[in-house]
Amino acid sequence: MQARHSLSIVIAAGFLCASTLAQAYDADWKRGRIYYRSVCTACHAAQAGGSIAPSTMTKAEWNAYLQADKHAKGKDSLKQYFSKSYRASIRAQNKAADKFADLPDEELAADVKAFVIKGAKDGDAPASCS
Amino acid sequence: MKFSIAILLGGLLVAGALHAVEAPAPSKLNTTADHSKFKELQREFSSGPEVTKACITCHTEAALQIHRTKHWTWELLNPKTQQRLGKKHVINNFCLSAGTNMGACATCHVGYGWTDASFDFKSQENVDCLVCHDTTGNYKKLPNGGQPPVKDTESPPGSGKTVKAVDLARIAQRVGKTSRDTCGACHFFGGGGDGVKHGDMDSSLAAPDKVVDVHMDALGLDFTCSTCHKASSHDVAGSRYVPVGKDTDGAHIRGKADKTNPATCQSCHGQTPHKAGSQASKLNQHTDKVACQTCHIPEFARGGVATKMGWDWSTAGQLDADGKPILKKDEHGHVIYDSRKGDFLLAENVTPEYAWFNGDVTYTLLGDKVDKSEGVTMINMLGGSAGDGRSLIWPMKVMRSTQPYDPVNKTLVKPHLSGDDDTAYWTNFNWEKAVATGMKEDGAPFSGKVDFIKTEMSWPITHMVAPKGESVGCNECHARGGLLEKIEGIYIPGRDANQTLNLIGWLAAAGTLAGVLLHGLVRIVRRKN
Repeated sequence: MQARHSLSIVIAAGFLCASTLAQAYDADWKRGRIYYRSVCTACHAAQAGGSIAPSTMTKAEWNAYLQADKHAKGKDSLKQYFSKSYRASIRAQNKAADKFADLPDEELAADVKAFVIKGAKDGDAPASCS
Repeated sequence: MKFSIAILLGGLLVAGALHAVEAPAPSKLNTTADHSKFKELQREFSSGPEVTKACITCHTEAALQIHRTKHWTWELLNPKTQQRLGKKHVINNFCLSAGTNMGACATCHVGYGWTDASFDFKSQENVDCLVCHDTTGNYKKLPNGGQPPVKDTESPPGSGKTVKAVDLARIAQRVGKTSRDTCGACHFFGGGGDGVKHGDMDSSLAAPDKVVDVHMDALGLDFTCSTCHKASSHDVAGSRYVPVGKDTDGAHIRGKADKTNPATCQSCHGQTPHKAGSQASKLNQHTDKVACQTCHIPEFARGGVATKMGWDWSTAGQLDADGKPILKKDEHGHVIYDSRKGDFLLAENVTPEYAWFNGDVTYTLLGDKVDKSEGVTMINMLGGSAGDGRSLIWPMKVMRSTQPYDPVNKTLVKPHLSGDDDTAYWTNFNWEKAVATGMKEDGAPFSGKVDFIKTEMSWPITHMVAPKGESVGCNECHARGGLLEKIEGIYIPGRDANQTLNLIGWLAAAGTLAGVLLHGLVRIVRRKN
């Protein structure tokens, strides 16, 4: 019983240390704007039948879409398009992918999310593609 | 056993934490102060001035510095002409003037509450810090003297359109440096809409690509406005009221006390900007006569946003069969007729007009005499000529309008346009009432008669610099009917060719060649002998 108690204390202390060191990421909507327009919009406009303005969906719809992680009607993962490996694969042709090549996946995904939520139909600043 | 595992796990976690401590602790690298940590900002704010009050507890001089700037006073004395200029005074040929419309115009004032002459210009709390330092992109100001909406607000009143409340605390906790977005919130929308006024500034510059602007390219040099328009004590360099026509100084150098405008091309590129290529020397010979912008901004309104090129106020006031205002749009969705404002002419990718310009600008102000029989009244007269030694050939946006004036007193007028009172033109569509109210505010005489007069206003073009490969080509100017066809006082090869002179030149060249050949032939023949 005493040992179990000690284990809990130590694990809690460990997580406390870890959480203190790792600060919450404050998403950069402007970086998200550039990546969304230069990568997402550019590809959609060229290959997928037209661009998708953030203002075409509500915040709830964007949240649900991002949470579901289904791109191209579920054919592949949405997250992969924010990944370093994807950026590496297109960086020779895409300046945004090149510029943000080393950005952690989670940060870039958060940046894009911040932009589309802000630019959603019911967002703070509904945004078009251009 | 369990105790040992616990120690092991705990040890691993602590070791991991200690290892992390060796690396620099995470920090924001774009600022030295995380404003979300300031207790002064960790509260609810119910007005803009409340936020400013918190800001100036630390930034004790900031508001006082703002008080000294034209962003605050909207007033500037031109030292050459002694004309009192600034938005507070000038008349333009877009929305005409601020005057009694100040409540709406002051949406773009760096203050809170300027609706009429009673505004307190000495109040520090009336300074709006957030409009320039917001980083969230969510800050808004209403046409009620520029107050931010702290609750969902119908604006304009009766329009059915709701402006969402802004979270002042969240915005205040995230303030930072100015950006293209903050400057652009006003300057991209001059004249009442996106790209309306300037032609070389619109929302496409918020995050442009290299084609739209080589300097602001968001994936390249990524200049903000303040990269060129450097501020000192909150006073931003560069003004259209006292512009620089010809910068004869060299590039600004660190440590050197440069008093000249840091926003000119020459302040970075110097007087011989072309360094590479076989034509560099020849191109550098152009810089004493041709502004950089003339070649490097082949067109304006290039970012997909149309700019207004013409405005006819004389057609305003038409109503439909039910007595309701009319709104007409073209196939691109641009408004081309509005009962409140008249007819508009819009354009994208506009080739500029060109003129000699030495930086001198004289405005037609309230009270200055105008004459309809002269054809066109110049809202601003630009100085410059080929021979004054101070001028360069500049690209211009020329705005052509037809606007109200007093045909008896022969002056331009300042109508009262916005507001829900009986005399506001946008409410009652009565020019006489609107002009009477507007002129009374300025204490200016008004005969009671309103007519319309044609006007022009020139805007030197200086933004939307194209990549060098898309600059104006030599033969676009050096040709008959080229871009500089109307430029007088200078010989432009290719444009100014004279057939007789050309014939004489070719005959001389042919004669010289024949002489050389003949001489050579004689030498060869005589050597054999």
